[in-house]
Amino acid sequence: MRYQSQKVAYAYFVVALLLFTLQLVLGLWLAFNYWFTVPQAVVDVFPFSTARAMHTNLLVLWMLLGFMGATFYAVPEETQSELAWPRMAYVQLVLLVATGVAALVGFLFGWTQGRPLLEIPTPLDFLVVVGALMFLANVGVTILRARRFTAVQGSLLGGLVFLALLYLFGMPFYRNLAVDWYYWWWVIHLWVEGAWELVTAALVAFMLIQLTGVERKVIEKWLYVELGLFLFTGIAGTGHHYYWLAAPRYWLWVGGIFSALEPFPVLLMLIDTWRVMKERKKPLEPRLTWVFLYGMAVLHFVGAGVFGFAHTLPQVNYYTHGSQVTVSHGHLAFYGAYALVNLSFFYFAMPRLRNLPDGKYDEKGGHLAFWMASLGVVGLSLAFAVAGVLQAYLERMQGQPYIVAQQPIRFWMAIAFVFGIVVLGGVVHIVKHLLTLKPPPPAPA
Amino acid sequence: MSESSAKVVFWVGTLLSLALFLALTFDTHGKFDALTHADRLDDKVVEGKRVFEARNCNDCHTILGFGGYYAPDLTRAFTRMGEDTIRHRLERPEEALAASYRKMPQQRLSPKEIDRLVDFLRWVSAIENNDWPPQDSEVRWKSSTRRLLAGAALSPGAALVSEEACLACHALGDRGERKGPRLEWIGTRRDAGWIAEYLANPGALLPGAAMPPYDKLSEGQRKAIGEFIVSLADGRGRETP
Repeated sequence: MRYQSQKVAYAYFVVALLLFTLQLVLGLWLAFNYWFTVPQAVVDVFPFSTARAMHTNLLVLWMLLGFMGATFYAVPEETQSELAWPRMAYVQLVLLVATGVAALVGFLFGWTQGRPLLEIPTPLDFLVVVGALMFLANVGVTILRARRFTAVQGSLLGGLVFLALLYLFGMPFYRNLAVDWYYWWWVIHLWVEGAWELVTAALVAFMLIQLTGVERKVIEKWLYVELGLFLFTGIAGTGHHYYWLAAPRYWLWVGGIFSALEPFPVLLMLIDTWRVMKERKKPLEPRLTWVFLYGMAVLHFVGAGVFGFAHTLPQVNYYTHGSQVTVSHGHLAFYGAYALVNLSFFYFAMPRLRNLPDGKYDEKGGHLAFWMASLGVVGLSLAFAVAGVLQAYLERMQGQPYIVAQQPIRFWMAIAFVFGIVVLGGVVHIVKHLLTLKPPPPAPA
Repeated sequence: MSESSAKVVFWVGTLLSLALFLALTFDTHGKFDALTHADRLDDKVVEGKRVFEARNCNDCHTILGFGGYYAPDLTRAFTRMGEDTIRHRLERPEEALAASYRKMPQQRLSPKEIDRLVDFLRWVSAIENNDWPPQDSEVRWKSSTRRLLAGAALSPGAALVSEEACLACHALGDRGERKGPRLEWIGTRRDAGWIAEYLANPGALLPGAAMPPYDKLSEGQRKAIGEFIVSLADGRGRETP
């Protein structure tokens, strides 16, 4: 840690980790609902829908807090100056967490906007906007005052401004259901296949510069290419959500073609990471940070690139749309890309924030935790994939009624539940490890 | 590759895609009204959408394939199940889904809210979205039924269905009403024996069912109707009794 104000990031990371754990507990409850018959009395009080709203909103909240914390860590280093208003960063954290908690408690009492992933009621939406404005002002003014612009910063700030702007499209009430979903995807798709990718690419580039000592110019050059490909495929690729919502037929072509290209930028990011790793001028240390970073590059490609491509063509999507296939892709992609980029950054930044020499720490226990969490998510995604293929075949192709076709799927949801327990175990260990980092043991003589 | 050509890749890629996307968005807006039959999108339908959102229905059910995957897709719920079945499930889910391994919460909806939800689902069911979802495709149902009715001599069950005016409430092929479930959909879920028993006393098998009893029919006649309905959905799955 070179700048005092970077310290605010630590509080963001701690809150993000705790919310992540809570998200997983709710995820287990959702999987449980799929294979076990929850009695009517419980369903009346705490339905699946409420738990799902909590599970998904916790995901968005912890990941955004992680991104914001990472930005507060990276921007002082990139600008070589202190944050403009470190105390406002704490106020912003309190505001966003209070809004999040109010939303979660509200869901329990049926206070909701009732649109998946955007359930936060409108009054709370405005508080989110206030929090986002505080954040952008803080970061923006820091950069402007320092008058030092880098591609990493540009990508980070560009992604975050884009992210905040898109949120606005999710706020109004739409009379027409088709128009509603059309703009719902401006938030969801353009977040995860646009804005969030910019943030991720920037954070990865930042970590690679710091960890490998490879020249900034080289890394930033490839960052431009990655971003160009992400946005070229990702923006028009939104069309793969417009196949079946009463939009004109040309979206089948546009969505199909552009989204078929979406794996390429992710693949480029994987190749870049590997190449920079080979050309490093410093040793691969700490090992565990690299395990997370490289694990992210690989699972990002598999989850977002491969699993996404598998059902993106309209000919396939006609049968898999809105099935457990989507769930499978969603889980592996979110974990591979955004959970792991956050965790990588935490492993990179938290030892430095704790002033451990060279950012090194005792890795004991962290490796097992990584493999438990990652193999757990791979396992549950495969279980969802089997469930999804069964559903597509039995319900969509054979024409069985929903509830009949769900019967054989229950077994696979129980398998997903078991893998979910492994994930929770791994993540609890990661959280514990991160919150109690110790200096490495002295090397044996 | 030099840094300046990398920047060109970034700007050209981004702006091309953005320009295409915004142009198509503009064009799509001009076509939504026709594709969604916006002339039928009145205040009652909008009120129904508000109820749908207030009760967070969409975090269990999908609609247009979006939302939770925990409960059936609602895009064609109206054409599949008909008005009475929807009302029954909304009013008394604990009764309508008593035998199901998956429950729906009792939402304590007012009669007016239920009316509006029915209006909403009726409007949604007519949306033209490239005939998705496949399992509820009216095109598929109509053509298979047309083939069946044209291919064979009129079966005794089919004759009874028309004599007893079943289509005054149910849909079949190109004809019928949407008060009760589509006969083809019943055929995917139930076997002939179950249907015969149900005809005699609907309330005994599905408490609260809106259908009147047809106990004036002989057991043989009821069985014939059951066999006819099941034959509409050959090759599809069955609910295990």
